[in-house]
Amino acid sequence: MRVVLAEDLYLLREGLKQLLTAHGFEIVAAVDNGPDLLRALLAERPDVAVVDVRLPPTQTDEGLQAALAARRAVPGLPVLVLSQHVERLYARELLADGTGGVGYLLKDRVFNADQFVDAVRRVAAGGTAMDPDVIAKLFARGDHNVGRLTPREREVLELMAEGRSNAAIGQRLFLSESAVGKHTANIFGKLGLTASDDDNRRVLAVLAYLDGAR
Amino acid sequence: MRRGPHALAGGLLRGCLAIVSAVLLVAHLVLFVPGLGLGLVFLLPWPMAMMRRVTDAARRACGDLPRPYRDRPAPPEPEPDGRFRHDRVLYRSAFWPRQLGYLNWVLGDPATWRDVGWMLTNPVVGGVLGFGPAALVVGGLAVATGAGPWWIPVGLAMVVLGVLVAPAAVRAHDSWTRRLLGPPQPTFRSVKVWLGERFVTLAKLLALGGLTVVSVALAGISVLALALFCVGIVGALPEFATVTRQFTATRRRLAEQWSGVPIQTPYRPEPPLPQRRPDGLYEVGDQLYKSKGWTRFFQRIDWVWHDPATWRDLLWTATDPIVGGALVAASVGAVAYGLAELTVPALVRLARVEDPPRLAFLADRPVLALLAGLSMVVAGALFAPTALRLHGRWTAVLLAPTAKARLASRVEQLTVSRDDATSAQAAELRRIERDLHDGAQGRLVAVGLALGAVEALIDTDPAAARRLVADARESTARALAELRDLVRGVRPPVLAERGLVEAVRALALDSPVPVTVSTDLVGRPAEPVEAAVYFVVSEALVNTAKHAAATQVSIVFGYADGLLTTRIADDGRGGADPALGSGLRGMRHRLAAFDGTVRLVSPVGGPTTVTLEVPCALSSPRTSTSSGKGSSSC
Repeated sequence: MRVVLAEDLYLLREGLKQLLTAHGFEIVAAVDNGPDLLRALLAERPDVAVVDVRLPPTQTDEGLQAALAARRAVPGLPVLVLSQHVERLYARELLADGTGGVGYLLKDRVFNADQFVDAVRRVAAGGTAMDPDVIAKLFARGDHNVGRLTPREREVLELMAEGRSNAAIGQRLFLSESAVGKHTANIFGKLGLTASDDDNRRVLAVLAYLDGAR
Repeated sequence: MRRGPHALAGGLLRGCLAIVSAVLLVAHLVLFVPGLGLGLVFLLPWPMAMMRRVTDAARRACGDLPRPYRDRPAPPEPEPDGRFRHDRVLYRSAFWPRQLGYLNWVLGDPATWRDVGWMLTNPVVGGVLGFGPAALVVGGLAVATGAGPWWIPVGLAMVVLGVLVAPAAVRAHDSWTRRLLGPPQPTFRSVKVWLGERFVTLAKLLALGGLTVVSVALAGISVLALALFCVGIVGALPEFATVTRQFTATRRRLAEQWSGVPIQTPYRPEPPLPQRRPDGLYEVGDQLYKSKGWTRFFQRIDWVWHDPATWRDLLWTATDPIVGGALVAASVGAVAYGLAELTVPALVRLARVEDPPRLAFLADRPVLALLAGLSMVVAGALFAPTALRLHGRWTAVLLAPTAKARLASRVEQLTVSRDDATSAQAAELRRIERDLHDGAQGRLVAVGLALGAVEALIDTDPAAARRLVADARESTARALAELRDLVRGVRPPVLAERGLVEAVRALALDSPVPVTVSTDLVGRPAEPVEAAVYFVVSEALVNTAKHAAATQVSIVFGYADGLLTTRIADDGRGGADPALGSGLRGMRHRLAAFDGTVRLVSPVGGPTTVTLEVPCALSSPRTSTSSGKGSSSC
């Protein structure tokens, strides 16, 4: 699987290179600034890009802007954005085009190599990987309908919003897949969303609901 | 000729209205006397309701005039605890609030008083105009039939006259009713307003003229205080200066309110008590004093004596009677003398005074006197607003701070805001140091220790070593989370990456209350200004969420004439007291470092508006954000 990597800290860039190579990814370009990233994304058309939000030369959200620009040029280009902090504002911009293939994770998540690689694979496959912090912030707002969910349903919803399939959720929570299916049906019912089997559609629907409904 | 009898009938109808209004007048007297006199307020709405019914009938009868009344207030709504509020009193039942609200509504409506005017005058005017023609006809018939053959033409003439004047009488009655019961006539009112304004202006000038007398007295007293000072009685000086300052403060306020010339206070702030020297004495100038009282006493003298504004005040009290008096004489004097010129010759003639007073020069030429008097009144009235404005300018010449005093007070203000800024910065640094010390630093020490232990254990007890490595990883994750929070408090990521507006949008997304953010900023203010405004907005949003019980907040950024304006408005319950809580003070301090201001408007019942104004420049616009200019709902 071909990866473009953008990270300005040398140590972290090399670390990510090693990690991804060890898990069978092929690094086609590793860049350390925004303009180079955009060029690499458009020239290489990788299977997935792993991008740091803050990049030179401006040290602002250069990486995010380059990723968004590339996705405008190549719709659905899978991008996993890494950052020292997660902002719902940025999550919303990434999800805005609704084509999927996006991820937004804290840099800390790299610590757990298996989960991180899993997230990269999910994004590359056109799925979604949202950081639990983004989801927690959405819940923290105290939405009226979310309050009607049972604790178990909230757990399922959180994992669902992170981009996990029913099978993965069942594995995490030690439930059978059919039990998870029942929970998701209840959640969709309580939130007034149309149920869907497509993982990506499901995540987008949940996030759109949590983001939009107040 | 058919209109005549028709109008006669109309006149009779209008005459009946006159009788009704006479009855109404009696009913009013019966109900008003106990209503107002004995405080039986609940009696008052009845006559009003009755009166409106009658005036409505009159309006219908006199050509369907529109009703001029204000809309009736909504019935009182109970507070959450079930009581009812009127003004600043809570009532257990809705009765009194309803009555009082009704009363306010009725008595506050100018149409009510025009109704009363109609009720008072209609018995006579309406009676004469309404019944007059009919009375002529009836009287004429009576004369023609009863008083003998010679009177028949007279009687017939009266009947014809009655029929002829009837339409005119009805028209006159209706136009008079329209004037009192219809909507107010604009032309009539603007003349009234114009005259009223002249009158008020003249009255203000007269009052200013009267105050010059106080100026004279104060000047005299000040000279006396100086004389006493010269012979060694120094204590009177600060006291007289204080009195003079109170007077000039009033004059400054009047100059702003009446003449539209804002004048700042020029005095230096009273110095604080000096620090005690090591030997326990206080130092003022070259003198040392033992007790606090004497120190303060001499300090005050020193303070008053060395403030140039004291001497400018004195100069002003001495010169105001001359310059201000001249302005007053030129306007009020002209009007007064013109009025005298208008009336005195006539009075002289009426009273047959042999030796006319010298007040009126043209007593023996009445036409010339009339013209001269009239032109003086008009000229004086026309000049009055200019005189008032000139008076304000003149007051500013001596009572406004000099350029030097303005600089001095600016330096004072800058010193205070710099002290605030530096101490706020120091406090911030202390907080960051403490957070780092208690958080990330400690965790890194733990990681180091764990790695040391791993080094020792890795060969002997690999299982324990693996556990320690997991712990260390956990510690680094926590340290990162703490550093993240710290960074967010120092320089929020979105603020650093995208600037103020986007950062506030991000803030709005996390607010429990729906927030709309709109902007017409092109470009960005300097980074420190952005940070200050961001944190103040953040604080305001927290307060809104905590206290206002709002359902909607709007934040609007604007920029005009070098001033960045941020308005945060909610639809909550209001009643935020700027004196309570340190939140607003904190906001003020944050913005004071940039000469910015915070204005809070929060009447009880809402809505609350916080307006932040910071003078700053905007940098050229950047085109990096995807949402860009415009408004978005979050």
